[in-house]
Formats: sequence, structure tokens, C-alpha cells
Amino acid sequence: MTDLAIDVREVRGVWVLQPQGFINAYTVQQFESAMENLIQAQHCLILINCKNLTYINSAGLGAIMGLIEEVRQQGGDILLSNLQDNVYSIFATLGFTDLYRVFATEEEAIAAVAQQGDGRQSPHTDRK
Amino acid sequence: MRPTPSQANFCLTIPSQTRYLNLVTNVAKRFALIADMDDASAAKVSIAVDEAVTNIIAHAYRNEADHHIDIEFHINGKVIEIKVLHRGTGLREEEIALPDPREYVKHPRKGGLGLLLMSRFMDEVHFTEGGENKPSLCRMIKKI
Repeated sequence: MTDLAIDVREVRGVWVLQPQGFINAYTVQQFESAMENLIQAQHCLILINCKNLTYINSAGLGAIMGLIEEVRQQGGDILLSNLQDNVYSIFATLGFTDLYRVFATEEEAIAAVAQQGDGRQSPHTDRK
Repeated sequence: MRPTPSQANFCLTIPSQTRYLNLVTNVAKRFALIADMDDASAAKVSIAVDEAVTNIIAHAYRNEADHHIDIEFHINGKVIEIKVLHRGTGLREEEIALPDPREYVKHPRKGGLGLLLMSRFMDEVHFTEGGENKPSLCRMIKKI
């Protein structure tokens, strides 16, 4: 079994990054590289679909935190969807759900972005 | 249904390499479940142990792969205690300054969250700097 596999695809102008497996200090570089590749290609509206993310620790959170300002400076945003309870708990414990828009599903996230024209609105949580 | 053990002790020794972190995380979670913690609490214990070991690999051993880390698991009645021991550069408890999450969110940056997660997810976290013949220790306690 692979520790971490990352699927990247574009859906209606949103770049969906879908990690499968776990993100810790061993796998975080792979995750970080996938994010950086999108940003370098000017794909700065990014949705991290966490449906198949079984675990994340501070290394993974740090990777997202380390890129959020750059993404927003370039007019984009990082959105989150499909968080499993244990993953959501980490984000919520640290107050990160105030910083990122969190959606119950990928479809809801894409629809919200399409409705608003882009991803640059005040962060809030739409997780159900 | 088997009774929850009121006393249990065992030790896991791993090389100071991040490839073993998932193993440690899984063992810690299973240990907490055996101690009769619910799934959410067990997940928090596993993250705290992961963060402790990650810090030791990165900072105490500076990512040198040829050292060892001992992780002791104890159940003492209604409390679990996990000790992480190493012989790298120790941490002094009085020098630790946890980041304020509200400030962190205002000024995002990479790093600095591991100790914060440990302190949030465990009831007690203590650090003891080792000496010449004594390992450095991170000791974490959580009520069951």
C-alpha cells in the first residue's frame, strides 16, 4: 500500500488536490510539492479534497499554512472539503476552520466558487 | 468482552527515521483503544505521540537516521502515560513557548504547531533534559 498518493485535477476552474493515505513528516514533502507545483503553474484556486486522507499532523498543517498567504496574494485561495472527523478535529482545535473555507463535499465547494465568481471571500465553515 | 487492563507496560524502540512514524501512530492509537479510550481520544493520543517523536527526529537528532527512540506505554488505573526517551539534544520545559493559535492564524507560517497539538490533546506534557548517562524524556499523561 502506498503511504500517500495525490490525485490532481481541474474542475470548473478549481484545482482539486486529493490526497489518499496519510500526511506526516515522512510524506509531507510529497504533499508540499504537489501544492507548490500548482502554485508555480499559477493555479492558485485550490481545493484539498480530504475524502481519502486518513491522517494529518502538524507537518501537513504547516505545509498548508506556509502557502496560504502566497496563494491569497496571487488572488487565489485554499479550500477544504470532505474532512474526516479526526482530520477536522485537528483543524478545529487550532482554529484553522476560521482561516479556511471548509465544505462538506467537493461538489458544494465547486458550486460555491462558481456562484461567487472566485474563492476570495471571507473564510467560514460550511461543513455539515 | 474482555476487561480493560488496569496495569500494562510495554516499550517500542524505533530508529530515528520518519518512515517509522506511521507505525508509532498506529501503535499509540491501538494502545489508547485497549486502555478503553474512545476513538476520538485515541486519535488525539496518537497525534501527540507522533508529534513528540517527529520533534525528536528533527530537532534532538537533527534528522540523523542512526539513532534510536524508545517509546514506553503505561496504563496506570484510569490514566495512560507515554514516555518518549532519546539521547539527542534535550528540551528544557522552562524554555518552551507555545504559539498562540489566534496569532498563528493571523500570521500563518510553516512549523511551530507540534508542541501546541501535544499540549491540546494530552492532559499533561512534561520535558526533562537528560545528562551524560540519562536520556532526555518527553512524558505525556491523559486520563482515560
